[in-house]
Amino acid sequence: MDNITKKVKEEIERGWIGSDTNCPYHPCHFGGQDCTFCFCPFYPCCDENFGRNIISRRGADIWECTFCLFIHRPEVGKFVMSEFGRLGIIDPKDPRIGSVFGAAKKKFFRRGRAIMVLGATSDAGKSITVAAICRILHNRGYLVAPFKSQNMSLNSKVTRMGHEIAMIQTIQSKAAGLKNPDQHMNPILLKPKGDTISQVMVEGESYGDFNVEDYYGKFVPGPGIETVRKNIDFLKNRYDFIVMEGAGSPAEINIYDRDIANIGAAKIADAPCILVVNVEWGGAFAYAVGTVRLMPEEDRGRIKGVILNNIRGDISKISPGAKELEKILRIPVMGLIPHINVELPMEDSEAMRGMKSRGNGSMVVSVIKLPRIANFTDLDPLYMEDTAIRFVTEPEELEGSGAIIIPGTKNTTDDLIWMKEKGLDKAVAGKKGKIPILGICGGYQMMSRVLEDPNGIEGSVSGSFEGLGLFDNITRWDEYRKKVIQAEGMLLRTGEPVTGYEIHMGTSEVNEEPLFCIKGISGDEKEGSFREKEMLFGTYLHGILEKPAFRRFFLSYVRGGKAVLSASEPIDYDDLIEENIRKLSSAFEENMDTERLMKILEGEP
Amino acid sequence: MKIIFLGTSSGAGKTTITALYCRYISRKGIRTAPFKASNLSLNSFVTKDGHEIGMGQAFQALASGTEPSGDMNPILLKPSGNGVMQIIVNGEARDSIGGCTHTDISVMMKEAYTAFDRLSEEYEAVICEGSGSPAELNLMDRDIANIGLMRERKVPAILVGDIERGGAFAALYGTWLLMPEDVRPLLKGFIINRFRGDPSILAGATDKITELTGMKFIGTVPYMELKFPEEDTMSDTGGRLEGPTPADAFLNNLDSLMETAERVGFGIEIIDEILSS
Repeated sequence: MDNITKKVKEEIERGWIGSDTNCPYHPCHFGGQDCTFCFCPFYPCCDENFGRNIISRRGADIWECTFCLFIHRPEVGKFVMSEFGRLGIIDPKDPRIGSVFGAAKKKFFRRGRAIMVLGATSDAGKSITVAAICRILHNRGYLVAPFKSQNMSLNSKVTRMGHEIAMIQTIQSKAAGLKNPDQHMNPILLKPKGDTISQVMVEGESYGDFNVEDYYGKFVPGPGIETVRKNIDFLKNRYDFIVMEGAGSPAEINIYDRDIANIGAAKIADAPCILVVNVEWGGAFAYAVGTVRLMPEEDRGRIKGVILNNIRGDISKISPGAKELEKILRIPVMGLIPHINVELPMEDSEAMRGMKSRGNGSMVVSVIKLPRIANFTDLDPLYMEDTAIRFVTEPEELEGSGAIIIPGTKNTTDDLIWMKEKGLDKAVAGKKGKIPILGICGGYQMMSRVLEDPNGIEGSVSGSFEGLGLFDNITRWDEYRKKVIQAEGMLLRTGEPVTGYEIHMGTSEVNEEPLFCIKGISGDEKEGSFREKEMLFGTYLHGILEKPAFRRFFLSYVRGGKAVLSASEPIDYDDLIEENIRKLSSAFEENMDTERLMKILEGEP
Repeated sequence: MKIIFLGTSSGAGKTTITALYCRYISRKGIRTAPFKASNLSLNSFVTKDGHEIGMGQAFQALASGTEPSGDMNPILLKPSGNGVMQIIVNGEARDSIGGCTHTDISVMMKEAYTAFDRLSEEYEAVICEGSGSPAELNLMDRDIANIGLMRERKVPAILVGDIERGGAFAALYGTWLLMPEDVRPLLKGFIINRFRGDPSILAGATDKITELTGMKFIGTVPYMELKFPEEDTMSDTGGRLEGPTPADAFLNNLDSLMETAERVGFGIEIIDEILSS
C-alpha cells in the first residue's frame, strides 16, 4: 500500500498530463486514455460497480479492479485533478478524496447501453458490422466493448490474463481501440470436438464437454444464462456502449426459447437490434421478412434497423427493393453495404471446409488439413507474402511444395493416427532436408520421436505412439492440464521480436536447438525446436507468423524464398488488421445511416 | 403433370433436388422432362438439336433418362463481362441487356412458356426448377422462371430451404409471405436441404411453418457433396473402357442421396401427390 501511496503522491504533484503517448506501454488500456493516474487515487474505492473483493493467494482480503477504466476516461482524469487543485489536496490520504470520487462518479458514471447485431444467417456479416460499429463509436470518443455471449469457433486466442476467447472478439476489441481484450467479451466459447460434442469454455476457462441436448437442456438454463447476465452487467459498468454480436440466425424456432446467443442475450442487455442480411446468395428480402415475422411479437420490436450487406455491382439497383422492404416491415433499412474486400481472419470452420487452396503467390506452402485442425488463423499472415497455400489430405498432393506446415489440432494423437492411415507421415518425413517443415502446437508435438499418452488424456486411444521422428523430442500427457499463456520474446537466431500464445495439453521434453527465447515471470525460457541443416522448425506458439521476424525467417528457407522476400517490405500482421478495420469502418460510415445508429443507441424507438 | 422446385436463395439445392425427383419419377416409367425457363450460367451444354442450355438441365435430362433438348431451358443468360448479358432465346442469340437495349420481358415469357407447353405435350411429367429466389422485391415484376411460370401455367411449387447457413425457417416463411397473393396458394410443400444430424429435433419448427403457411413438410435431405460430371463426359462413356463413367457415378450419387434421404423419412410420396393434383 505504501508504494501505491507514494506513486499517487507523485502523480498529484505532477498534475494533469492527459494521454501520455511517450510512455512505452501506451496505450495500456485504450486509445485516447487519460494517463494522469497510472495508479488510481481512489484505490480501494470498494464500489461494486468498479471492482470486487477477492481472497488473494496469501489469503488476504483484497480489492480487485483490474478491468476498471473509470479513472482513465479523459473527462474523469481531468476533472479529478482539477478538483484536487481546487481543494488543495496534495496528500493521497486526504479524507476529502472520497468526496472527489463521489463527485466524479455522480458526474461521469453512467451504465453503458447495448446494441445487438443479428444476422439472418451465419456469414451474414455480423462480425464485420460489429467491428465497424466499434470503430465508428471509438472514433467518436466513446468507450466501447464488443461482446458475443456464445461463440462456436476453433479459432481462439489467449488474453493477457490467460483466458481463451474467440479470435474474432479480439479483432473487434482492436476495432474498439482496446489494448487488452478480456474474457468478458466472449464469456461462452464452444469448441466443437465432433459433430455433436463441444468443449464449453466459460469466461475463458474449460467448463466441460457437452452434447447438444445437455448443452441446451442443462447448461443454458442454469449456468449459461447466469454467465451471460453477469458479463453483460460487468461490461455495462465499464463501457459507454457494448456492441453485441448474435450467433447464426435469431429465428431458429426449434431452439428459440433456449437461445442465449441472440434475442435471449438482447433481452438480458435490454439491447435494441440491427438485422444484417447478406444479399450475395439471393433471397435477402425473404430472409429479412421471415426472420422478423417468425419472432414473437414482443421481440420483433427490438429490431430497429436492417442492413443489406455484401452488395456487388450497382447499389442503387437494390434501392427500390429496400424501400419496399421498409414498407413491409416498418423498420428502416439503415445501410446498403457494398462488397468490401477485407483481409480479416477466417472466423468459421465452415468457410474452410471445402477449401483446397488460397492465394496464388509463387511459394507453394502445403498445409496438412488435419481432420481436427484448430487455430487455422495461424496461417492467415502467410497471405501477406508471395505464397499460395495448398490444403493437403493425400501424400501425392505434397509434390511441388516449397514448404510444409503441420498446423494445430484439437487432438494430436487422433490426428497423428489419421496421418499414418493416409501415409502422410512417411510422405512428410520423406521431405526432410529437401524443403522446410514447420509444426505448430499439435503439429509440433507430432514431430516428436515418441508421444506418450498413457491415460488417454489427449486422444481417444491411450498408449505410446511413434511420432514423425523429425525431432528427438518426447511429448507426454501425464495429467489433464492445459497450458494457456500469452508470450513475448525473440527469435534466437536473429534477435528480432516475436509474439504468440500457447493453448495445449501435454509437454515436450526437447533435445534440440531452441527457436525462441520467451520472457517469463520467473525469467527467460527457451521455446521450440530448430534443425537448420534439415530445415525443421517446431513451436508451441500460435500466432507466431504474425510478426514478420519468424514468418520471413521460415520462408527464407523456401527455395528462392530469400529473393522473393527481399523484393517486398515485411509487414506486421497487426498493421494489416488495423488497415482493414479502417477500410471496413469507413465503408460503413459511407453506406450506413450513422445518425440512425446513434439514435438507436440512445434508445429512441 | 407438372411441378416446380423453388429455392429460398441461389445454391439452396434446387438443381440437385430437381434431378433427384426426375430420376425417381422416370424410374417409375413416367416419361419425364426437366425444365428451367431461364438460366443464368456461363457453363452451357450443347444439345443434339444444336441448342445451348444450362448444364443443370442437361444433368436433369440425364437423370430423367431422356435426351437434353433446347426446350428444357429456352432462355439462357450468359454474362459477357462489364455487366452485359447475352440473351439466348430458343438457341438464338437475341439481344443483350446491361447496356442500353432491353428485350421485351413479355416476348421472352411467351417464348419460354411455349417451350414449356411443347414439353408438356411430349412428356407425361415436366419437372421444373426455379431460378434464384422467387421473392426478390426488386425483380418480381420481371420474374420469368419462378412467379411468371407458376402464374401463367398454374404450376404447383415446392420450396427448398438450405439449413447449412442457418435461418432456413425464416427464409421459407419469408419467401411465402412475399409471394404475390395470386400465386401463394400454389406453394404446396417445403424441403429442408443439407441437414446434418437427427431430423427429429426440427419437428416443432417444421410444424410451425406448416401451421403458418399451410405448406406440407416433405422432409430433410441430408448434407452430401455431389460430384457433377464434366460437360464433355456427360452424355456418353467419355472414352473410358472400364469402370463407371462419370455419368454413371453421378446417377449413383443421386441414388445414394435418395436412399439416405428416405432412410431419414423424406416423404417423396407427398411430392407425388402434389404433382398429380
